[in-house]
Amino acid sequence: MSAAAMLELNGVVIDDTFAEAFPMKATRLVITAHNATWANHAAVALTGFATSVIACGCEAGIERVLDPGETPDGRPGVAVLIFSMSGKDLAKQIERRVGQCVLTCPTTAVYAGLDAAPDADRTALGKNLRFFGDGWQISKVIDGRRFWRVPVMDGEFVAEETTPVVKAVGGGNLLILAHDTEAALGAAEAAVVAMRALPNVILPFPGGVVRSGSKIGSKYASLPASSNDAFCPALTPLAKRTELTPEIGCVMEIVIDGLTDGDVAAAMRVGMEAVVARGAAAGVRRISAGNYGGKLGPYLYRLHALLGKGGAGVSRSNAPRLRNGLAVQSQPPGA
Amino acid sequence: MNTSIVPAFRLRLRTQPALRLDLSGFVPQALDRETPSGVARRTLWHGNVQVPIGEFFDVEAMAADGPELVFEGDLSRCDGLGRGLDGGRIRVEGDVGDYVGAGMRAGEIVVTGSAGMLAACEMAGGRLEVGGDVGDYAASALPGDMDGMRGGLFIVRGKAGARFGDRMRRGTAVVFGDAGDFLASRLVAGTITVAGAVGAHCGYGMRRGTLIFAGPQPEPPPTFVPTGHDVQVIWTLLARSLAVHGGPFAALAAGRPRRFVGDLAADGKGEWLLPA
Repeated sequence: MSAAAMLELNGVVIDDTFAEAFPMKATRLVITAHNATWANHAAVALTGFATSVIACGCEAGIERVLDPGETPDGRPGVAVLIFSMSGKDLAKQIERRVGQCVLTCPTTAVYAGLDAAPDADRTALGKNLRFFGDGWQISKVIDGRRFWRVPVMDGEFVAEETTPVVKAVGGGNLLILAHDTEAALGAAEAAVVAMRALPNVILPFPGGVVRSGSKIGSKYASLPASSNDAFCPALTPLAKRTELTPEIGCVMEIVIDGLTDGDVAAAMRVGMEAVVARGAAAGVRRISAGNYGGKLGPYLYRLHALLGKGGAGVSRSNAPRLRNGLAVQSQPPGA
Repeated sequence: MNTSIVPAFRLRLRTQPALRLDLSGFVPQALDRETPSGVARRTLWHGNVQVPIGEFFDVEAMAADGPELVFEGDLSRCDGLGRGLDGGRIRVEGDVGDYVGAGMRAGEIVVTGSAGMLAACEMAGGRLEVGGDVGDYAASALPGDMDGMRGGLFIVRGKAGARFGDRMRRGTAVVFGDAGDFLASRLVAGTITVAGAVGAHCGYGMRRGTLIFAGPQPEPPPTFVPTGHDVQVIWTLLARSLAVHGGPFAALAAGRPRRFVGDLAADGKGEWLLPA
């Protein structure tokens, strides 16, 4: 890194690099229940095993907890965001996850959570799940929205018929390079708290943090992606190419999916600010980001610019966007 | 705003027609780029004779932000007002005859007085509000047809006649006053809520759909049976939607309704919600 490109804030070096993200399809669901505990149970189950589109089919997370005054039926609720690589994948995941995790959960109801134009793309929510009612299901149209009421053993499961699907952004990321595990985890946790306070984004990995960042390809032909050796401290003295210096003992990544590129940019910004606020005294040495030279996706998030140090925070890659194969490789295994 | 392009006219009834006057098809969109004199020259059926509108109405242009017609006077001999309306607004300052809003698909009709028979019959969308009473067979099907009201919002601030919502299939009907006999008979689906008393044979042959009693709670007939489960979720959604109408509907959400299903003679998937 050239000295001219060097940016150091509170002792933390911000790499002159960018995170690279790609288009996804997304929706927001609002899950309500008799009390916050059961709404949370359903939301946790729904968003479980949804860290990466590679093997989970979608990336999902709890966006925020909703007060009774914010939900359609006046009960406690949870807003979740679900992201997939296509509308078709998203539809499949919604049906499976809502069917197995929300319909089954005591007292719950589920609603579309995105405002959308009447002609917006929509995908099934309760539309197919209603058949669980075996003919006893009934529909109710209220103010132009159709709800299905499926008899279940605790009463009836109410699900809105469809939910809007919007274009979204997946794969925004930050890499936190620290002296040791304690420092890296502490910084990552602080960043996660700050980022989760923002609307329209989720951090799909456990606790919002992923330790298995990946690079494209592998020495094993069958693997599309493998460990990001350039950021593995264990390989600093061994790998042909490393991004680390000897004092870096631990790297954590935070992956961000958002409804818009602005949402992802905002989350990255507050995440970096939270890490910078703790400063080098807390053990963090650098903040970097994962990218694939602009070949993966059209959204490029330049770290310096996000922190107001020149340029546009979000730009579009001119490189041809590679679909499916490379997009899948954008995430670490399980990422 | 260019009022010469937006069709907006005020029609003041000058002479009561001797026979029924058929206003079917006389809707705002049909008057695009029309002048008041042009409107006055248009003809309507008066009995079995076509006569110019100007024979009964004084027509003048008015300022409006969209296609609109305003009628003034006692139009109780004028039938089919707003029939098939597909957008724009119609306001009647007075009473109106039969078939008001029949088959309307979009737009808004407001009648400050009362309406005759078959108001909102086969209405499919939009909003129809009657400030006074409506006659028999409102929100129902036209004679010989299978389905009644099938969409939109129908508000009656006065009383409703007999057979209100007969064969109604979709949409929401709100009645502030009493309803006559055979309310919601053969109801296929949709939502009807009544704040007043209801007549005999309410819900006769009801197949699906929802009846909400915001005022007096009638005794369900023997062909309706109670269900004991918690319906608070769908009740809250319904009650919050109805609360915008105010009055007896404003506080519905606070209630915990009893639910009855029937008519068991017709599969029993209709429901009565009794919140008091």
